[in-house]
Amino acid sequence: MYTPPLHIAIMENSKIIFEGLQAIICHSSLDCCVNRVETLEKLTEMIEHTPIDILIANPMQFVNREKEIKKLRRAYPTLAIAGIDFGIINHQPMLTDLSFTLYDSPEHILHSLMKLQEKSRSTEQEKEEDDNLTPREIEVLTGLVNGMINKEIAQQLHISIHTVVRHRKNITLKTGIRSQSGLTIYAISKKIVSIEDIDP
Amino acid sequence: MYQTPKTKIRSAMKMAWLIDTNPSLLLMLQHFNIDFRVSDLTVGQLCGKYDISENLFVSIANLYNGFDTKGHQPFTRKDLLQVIDFLQSSHDYYRSDKYPQISAYIRQLQEHHPVREMKLLEKFFNEYFAEVLEHLDYEDSIAFPYFITLLNNGKAEEKGKRYSSKEYGRHHTDIELKLQDLKNLLLKHIDIEDRLDLRRKLLFALYELEFDLYIHSLIEENILIPSGALIEKE
Repeated sequence: MYTPPLHIAIMENSKIIFEGLQAIICHSSLDCCVNRVETLEKLTEMIEHTPIDILIANPMQFVNREKEIKKLRRAYPTLAIAGIDFGIINHQPMLTDLSFTLYDSPEHILHSLMKLQEKSRSTEQEKEEDDNLTPREIEVLTGLVNGMINKEIAQQLHISIHTVVRHRKNITLKTGIRSQSGLTIYAISKKIVSIEDIDP
Repeated sequence: MYQTPKTKIRSAMKMAWLIDTNPSLLLMLQHFNIDFRVSDLTVGQLCGKYDISENLFVSIANLYNGFDTKGHQPFTRKDLLQVIDFLQSSHDYYRSDKYPQISAYIRQLQEHHPVREMKLLEKFFNEYFAEVLEHLDYEDSIAFPYFITLLNNGKAEEKGKRYSSKEYGRHHTDIELKLQDLKNLLLKHIDIEDRLDLRRKLLFALYELEFDLYIHSLIEENILIPSGALIEKE
């Protein structure tokens, strides 16, 4: 089964600490990409379009923002958070899943990250595992490329409009294609519809 | 474009060295109408030579290097007029350089692979291009003249069609999404064999276009629109 690389974001103002962590992570055998985010706002912005698996954060960034962190966690249940323990702030179990100090060995830090990876992945397992469309999604797609609107598709398949919308969302997630004309090309190249079926 | 590590550009840095670390800056120079023979000039000296504000040049150059403009920079009216020149020049680049190039690659691919998908892909691109042209024309004929009048101290005239920043934003999202579709179709879905060279050129051109369009919308959204709003308030 294919697993995409782990996406790690580091929220830490010190360049020395960021670069150090990045070096440890990138030189390890972890299959991942590392991004730096400067503020909680930037993180929220980023997570909207790029899913993040693990956040490594300086807990100073969380001070007085507990509510926002909790909200973030609810919105993205697969996000795992590791805190950098500077010995200043008490470990807040609600906000971080685990923490490590800057004096821990690289092996220890990587081990912690791998544990978080397991957590993040096990929550994700519940989701679909491959990018193939389900028979239902194929039916919805066929309706779409034939120029039907959501309501018509819902009537034809005897499902609610809400369900059609959900299928459409999954189709886009799986194929990476949003526009109707793009989906048409997709459907033809996958032989879901033939070119003759489509109204000119 | 893959570029790491990133350099935060400052006015005392040598331009030639900066180009060496990120060649995309050449495109920025072209949009500013600055010659590539930058000799041994620093960013500051180059700006002096071409009468471009250092603040503006450094902000835009840093966008190309992957740094967002931090907060609001105080841009002058003269700066903003230069921003409009810059944006207009990038429109020329899309219209008469990048899109014809991409279109030619797709045509060549289609000639080698007269499969239906390729025909549809060509149609998809042509329709997309028509939409982009419409947006560029909208900016050139409505948005930019609106800003230019505003910046030249005039009141924005009440013409038939008015500029709206909302409409502006919607166009951008659309343009970006379809480009993404095109890349995904080529990378994940359409079966084409051989012609790796041609397909690499096509994909590369799409990435170059995507990158410049991204910077283009950052400049509009982070520099032009907020500064324009401030001037409107004056």
